[in-house]
Amino acid sequence: MKKTGIFRKLKRRPLLAAAFAVIALYAAVCAWVVSGWNVPSWEKVDYARSYQPPSARHWLGTDVHGRDVLAKTVWGARTALTVALTASVLAVAIGLVLGLAAGYLGGVVDDVVTWIYSTLQSVPYYLLILAFAFVLQGKSISILGKAFRLDGIAAVYIALGLTGWVGLCRLVRGETIKHREREYVLAARALGASRARIMFRHLTPNVFHLVIITFTLGFVSYIHAEVILSFLGLGAKRVPSWGVMIDDAKLELARGIWWQLAAAAGAIFLISLALHVVGDYLRDVLDPKLRGTKR
Amino acid sequence: MTAVLELEDLRVSFRHGDRLLPAVAGVDLTLRRGVAQGLVGESGCGKTLTALSLLGLLPPAAVVESGRVTMEGRDLLSLPEKELRRYRGRLIGMIFQEPMTSLNPVFTVGDQIAEAIRAHEKTGAAAAAARVRDLLERVGIPDPEARMKSYPHQLSGGQRQRVMIAMALACGPRVLVADEPTTALDVTVQARILELLGSLRREREMALLLVTHDLGIVAQETDRTAVMYLGRIVEEATTPEIFRRPVHPYTRALLRSIPRLGRTEKRLKTIPGNVPSLAERPPGCAFSPRCPAARDICFRRDPTLEEVGTDHRAACWAASPEAEK
Repeated sequence: MKKTGIFRKLKRRPLLAAAFAVIALYAAVCAWVVSGWNVPSWEKVDYARSYQPPSARHWLGTDVHGRDVLAKTVWGARTALTVALTASVLAVAIGLVLGLAAGYLGGVVDDVVTWIYSTLQSVPYYLLILAFAFVLQGKSISILGKAFRLDGIAAVYIALGLTGWVGLCRLVRGETIKHREREYVLAARALGASRARIMFRHLTPNVFHLVIITFTLGFVSYIHAEVILSFLGLGAKRVPSWGVMIDDAKLELARGIWWQLAAAAGAIFLISLALHVVGDYLRDVLDPKLRGTKR
Repeated sequence: MTAVLELEDLRVSFRHGDRLLPAVAGVDLTLRRGVAQGLVGESGCGKTLTALSLLGLLPPAAVVESGRVTMEGRDLLSLPEKELRRYRGRLIGMIFQEPMTSLNPVFTVGDQIAEAIRAHEKTGAAAAAARVRDLLERVGIPDPEARMKSYPHQLSGGQRQRVMIAMALACGPRVLVADEPTTALDVTVQARILELLGSLRREREMALLLVTHDLGIVAQETDRTAVMYLGRIVEEATTPEIFRRPVHPYTRALLRSIPRLGRTEKRLKTIPGNVPSLAERPPGCAFSPRCPAARDICFRRDPTLEEVGTDHRAACWAASPEAEK
């Protein structure tokens, strides 16, 4: 019953259905590449086939080393989506916890959190990520006794996650302050619930719509950020990235070689549009009050 | 009847700039097993604040200046938050005024009551669910099995208040605090909720503190009544005594201001003047500026709560023998 309801709704909104399909396609491609099953290699160098235009053999042509552009685009999707996913999860986790703590506990906690995010916010976004990425580059961190070296792309994950939580944190803080005064919170306290329990069990579900919306819309900006950082040479190294492809195209375009740029730009365009459509829809459905506001 | 909870000399003030405005100015009250204690007064007289302080649930701007809330030989007000939490819900249950907002909108009714049980007891999900069903049945929710899966917005106001009662009862508290439990409900629903509270109290021998501004409810549902004015109890006695032989001019004025059915009056009787704000507490007896029987001493010295009859206390110079001197 419920399933048919969802499908019927999607039928009435073809744009939304298409957006979901695009996201599903990207996720499927990403999963396929990660699984490694029969994935075309993007590293196969063949100088004899340098700069081939799109053809039946190479649907999106080849690059300077004769590598298949379609394969690079597909692998680039993996890079972009894993970066965006990790950064989103990190940012949402930080933003939600700090927002709840600041909003519910108030006082000194609120002052400190507000101070931190105001400071982060006063620095231009990409400069901040650049700074974080530079600092984190080449550093090692140890998790559970295992040391991880932060090479290019991992530094980007973490830099994005450490800077991206501000928007959500502010929204959650505001919403929590609103909910804090509701009687159900008082009722929960009267039943002996601890502060942590009230924050994570009683308040979290009431602010979770903000998490869903921020996650969807934030995802797009993380994809963009990965592309931009890779374009600037700070992100992906030794792995294909749409940003690196666009960087390559700087030299190619003057020679009339358009396919690498078109493939990367098209891939970014499609997923961005799809996520925005879904994000806007979710925002309208879940939080009508936010309509028309900028993130 | 044995005392379950004793409130002694409770003083709660609001921080206002660098001043402290007394909102509860020395309240003594004893809750006894199986006894329904009414607490009446106008808006802002401190009755809700008194009820909330039993559980240490004061708003952030409020400060407890002095007083003891003794239960099981321990002073709840001096307990650290962590230990106080064990009393909340388990020994003292609370019901609030607004059943619309006092249930969490994102949890089903069943989950919410189970949460109340599991906050204090290690119970498996199935055992908790069985208890939730029994509780809902006891508070008179039809088809409890199905209603457990409902969200608060799917219930009517009366049903929501029944759910609140079930939640408050979940851990078998010995004291039930009901802060204006029926104010937001229809009159017919009101009567049924009060009836339910009464029968639960008798069945479980709970002490009930019923906070209300409705004298009709007090007359019907309570054994004892305390009348509050400006943060202080001005008269306390058994309910029939209060209604038959009110001593304090404020209590008398309150009783006179109830419109009588069948009597045609051009105007309803009111108490002259306004309740003074917390910042302008009059010297002497707080009621003196509005009191028809005020004498010299009333404006100078604040009367204390004195025995004026059998099991009947009042704070009024006119009633206390000491004033005769």
